[in-house]
Amino acid sequence: MKNQWTIVLGAIAVGAVLPYVFPGPFPRHVMIMVLVYAILGTAWNILGGYAGQVSLGHAVYFGIGAYTSTMAFIVWRLNPWVGMVLGAVIAASVAILMGYPTFKLRGFYFAIATIALGEMFRILFVNWEWVGGAVGLEPPIIKGDRLMSMQFHLSKVPYYYILFIMFLCVLALVRVIERSKLGYYFRAVKDSHEAALSSGIDTTQVKLVAVAISAFITSMVGTVYAQYLLYIDPYVVFAGSISVKVCLVAILGGEGRLMGPFFGSVVLVLLSEYSRVLFGGTGRGIDLIIYGWLIVFVAAFQPRGILGLLGLKKQYAPEVMRKHA
Amino acid sequence: MKRSLVRLAIMLPVLALVFGLLAVPILGKVDTVKVGVIYPLTGSAAATGKDYIAAYQLAADIVNNKMDLDFPFARTEGIPALGGAMIEIVPADSQGSPEVGRAEAERLISSVKPTALMGCHHSAVTKTASQAAERFGTVFLCPDSTSPALTERGYEWFFRSGPTDTTFIEDTFDFIEDLKKARGLKVETVAIVSEDTEFGKNISVVEEQMAATRGYRVVEKITFQNNSTNVNSEVLRLKRANPDVILMAAYTSDTILFVRTFKEQKYTPPAVIGQRAGFISPEIFTTLGKDADYLFTTNVWAPDLGEKRPIVKRINELYRAKTGKDLTGDYARAFTGAFILVDAINRAGSVNPEAIRKALLATDYPGSQLIVPWAGVRFDQKTHQNTLGRGIITQAIGGVYRTVWPFDLASQEAVWPVPAWDKR
Amino acid sequence: MSGTQVFAQTVLNGLLMGCIIALVAIGIALIRGVMDMVNFAQGEFLMLGMYCAFWVNRLTGLDPLLTAPIAGAVLFVLGAVMYKTLVRRVVGAPMLAQVLLTFGFSIVLVNTALFLWGAEFRTIPETWIRGNVDIGGVVIGVTTLVPAVVSVIMAAGVYWFMVKTRMGRALQATAMNKHAAALVGIDTERVYALAFGLASACAGVAGSVLALSYYVFPMVGTVFNLFAFVAVALGGFGSIPGAFIGGLIIGVADSVTGFYVSTAFKYVVAFGIYLATVIWRPKGLFGW
Repeated sequence: MKNQWTIVLGAIAVGAVLPYVFPGPFPRHVMIMVLVYAILGTAWNILGGYAGQVSLGHAVYFGIGAYTSTMAFIVWRLNPWVGMVLGAVIAASVAILMGYPTFKLRGFYFAIATIALGEMFRILFVNWEWVGGAVGLEPPIIKGDRLMSMQFHLSKVPYYYILFIMFLCVLALVRVIERSKLGYYFRAVKDSHEAALSSGIDTTQVKLVAVAISAFITSMVGTVYAQYLLYIDPYVVFAGSISVKVCLVAILGGEGRLMGPFFGSVVLVLLSEYSRVLFGGTGRGIDLIIYGWLIVFVAAFQPRGILGLLGLKKQYAPEVMRKHA
Repeated sequence: MKRSLVRLAIMLPVLALVFGLLAVPILGKVDTVKVGVIYPLTGSAAATGKDYIAAYQLAADIVNNKMDLDFPFARTEGIPALGGAMIEIVPADSQGSPEVGRAEAERLISSVKPTALMGCHHSAVTKTASQAAERFGTVFLCPDSTSPALTERGYEWFFRSGPTDTTFIEDTFDFIEDLKKARGLKVETVAIVSEDTEFGKNISVVEEQMAATRGYRVVEKITFQNNSTNVNSEVLRLKRANPDVILMAAYTSDTILFVRTFKEQKYTPPAVIGQRAGFISPEIFTTLGKDADYLFTTNVWAPDLGEKRPIVKRINELYRAKTGKDLTGDYARAFTGAFILVDAINRAGSVNPEAIRKALLATDYPGSQLIVPWAGVRFDQKTHQNTLGRGIITQAIGGVYRTVWPFDLASQEAVWPVPAWDKR
Repeated sequence: MSGTQVFAQTVLNGLLMGCIIALVAIGIALIRGVMDMVNFAQGEFLMLGMYCAFWVNRLTGLDPLLTAPIAGAVLFVLGAVMYKTLVRRVVGAPMLAQVLLTFGFSIVLVNTALFLWGAEFRTIPETWIRGNVDIGGVVIGVTTLVPAVVSVIMAAGVYWFMVKTRMGRALQATAMNKHAAALVGIDTERVYALAFGLASACAGVAGSVLALSYYVFPMVGTVFNLFAFVAVALGGFGSIPGAFIGGLIIGVADSVTGFYVSTAFKYVVAFGIYLATVIWRPKGLFGW
């Protein structure tokens, strides 16, 4: 137990100094993107990994977070931190509203429904002139780097630390959920819907709780991302590719496991960013071929993800993954 | 014990790879002037991106080598004021994404340390990439993106040599007006058809305003999804509205789809005027063949400009030798932008960013030394938009675009209304 | 054009488009029905089928309608090989592993096509299949009519194969209960390979005929993939007639809304119909 705490504290210390080990905007950008997808993946994992509801539409919540804070900033001059909370509340409400009918659906039907909803939201925002339509929005530039305005022009390091702290909080939250009654409800719903129902669990309610928490976190990252890029449009924040990547990150690392999304994000983001640097200039898609094969091989040979590859076992519950008979 | 050793054996190389990649620095030489060019090299605009790079390479070849050409920097090697320093083009892939575009701009600035950045085709990518350049005080010269908003941000380091959408749409209406006067054509109704990304949306707004102020009735306004599976209902709507002219903004895939659907539904609009993008991609002719004939588009360049100016023809031949294709408005613009930059660096006499910025502000490049039909290049002191740029209107005839407006540059009379599909 | 003519034209356009969506959807439904898995790379097989048609046409001048069997055969082999090497590892695994594998594979296929053939849009030169049919003012392009007809034939053919032939019944038996099928002497591995190959072959044929009217491009599959998926889910996963009818519904919804309501929102309505349907019937129209 003591040993574990040493590892945890050591990892936090490493994370805290990392932006100074690799200075320069590009490595820092990569680290920020690793954290963005690590948090998004962890949030997805609550619904997809623990509760077993595969969503391919998480960009909806990401986009809501990005748009709410930016619009609140533009229209009411509302501080982005307040906008972040507002966006998260809206995203969670939307998630519950959409979840109520769609949680009747199982497996693929649910996944396809989330894709459809994701596309619908994107089209809606593309044609919604009040929020800038396809032209997108640029949060007004606030001169001077102050934490209050969540805009930093001199250095990326503050963004890194905001996301780093967010990530630690989210990890702690998931850790608590994992060990709480709620966590067992999640896994019960995932392992056998019928069994969960018959043992008196209100499965829809459990799923709604999962999606609300998941959407809340996803939306907060959306706000930070909007402040980081300082430009959003529906193609950037409601992109189907974000939904897919978030899901890939979690599965690649090892779904339903605390640190899975983090490792998935490290590998996927580093690979996509640096293979683009090394091969992207050729314009022949070599970077994405490598990226795709990696995903294929992990899926085919180690469906338990990178954590499984490293030989780390889950600490709870029996293995739910059935091997090919 | 053994298991954890195995685990360690797997983990160590992974960690080494991770740290190794993070530390990848790209060392720069001193006697070259590096220009980072950011374009979509994967994704649906990848073909366009590759041809852009070829245009920049050609510009670099002309500057770097002694060539028997009546063109600036052709008869010398390298940039004269920098003791013959060579230009090096460093391409980067934006994947058509604003996030990636900005990341690539930052990476180039910090690792390659380019003297300037250029790009990025998509206006949304130019927006974020130039944001990074602004932050780091690196010159960003945009030769191609046309969104008017780009030069309205008051950026210090951002310059645009190409004309904006507003200019091109003004050209479109001037062309119609001139044609009406010259030939007594009846053009009263227009249909506005645009794809639904920033490019199309911007254009449709300006077109609608200008149609209103110039007294045209908009009988149909269509927004269609970029990369559509089909445009049947769009074409049916146009057929019903039966406008005198269709103004269209579409990328390559949708342009192909529209022309094919027009033909399939036996609908011949009297005239279709495109706003570059898909209309000027070389694939229009390779995919549509004869069916591309009689399409109009606003443009920056056409091969027939070479009939009046041999140097334009020579440059196009050089480009053709490199890629097997003619230049298009996109690539001629990029090529031109590269020379504007080299000229500024040469006048600055150094690679100091502030000196280059000042030199760009003082640019007064004569139209006679350009391959595009502009009056020249002179940047507005506040917005940094080239005030002397202008467009032309071209029409596809026999598999090439020919200039039909302004009349003094025209090599062909506009065919309007165009012949029906079964009469071609 | 009169109001009735326009309406007829709109619906007909929608039906023809629906048949084209069904071309892709049939393969997805087949794999799902037999192997209980979803192939997100089906659109990319379609893309390969289109390139196959393009290159055979370019090199031999063969008509795209005649390249269809060639493309079908090539894709059958490719599908079977892919099953034997990779896909068999995720049959029976949780959905996530299947999603990961097939998404990854679609990225590989798109970019391999980009690597091999470049990002240029290409088309097959006009053949004898061209022109339009005009029925009382309602106009249909022959190049969309042919794929639609092929789509109907293909759906009927696959359905017939499944219901009437010995091999087809082995497929169905395996779909219902793999272990029981194995007990009565069905080589389930071979059945799966056959099903995957057959679904890929469908995409090959579909790609070939689609190349008549559509552009060929590395990312063309993604354009159709989403709609095909919605069509399959709408009809009920695994049901071939369901996939076909799902395709028609999506096509007509797209066309009618596009013309009478708004082109910008035509896909919203198509997706909305899917959502409404599955909320009403959570397993789709014909699902079981």
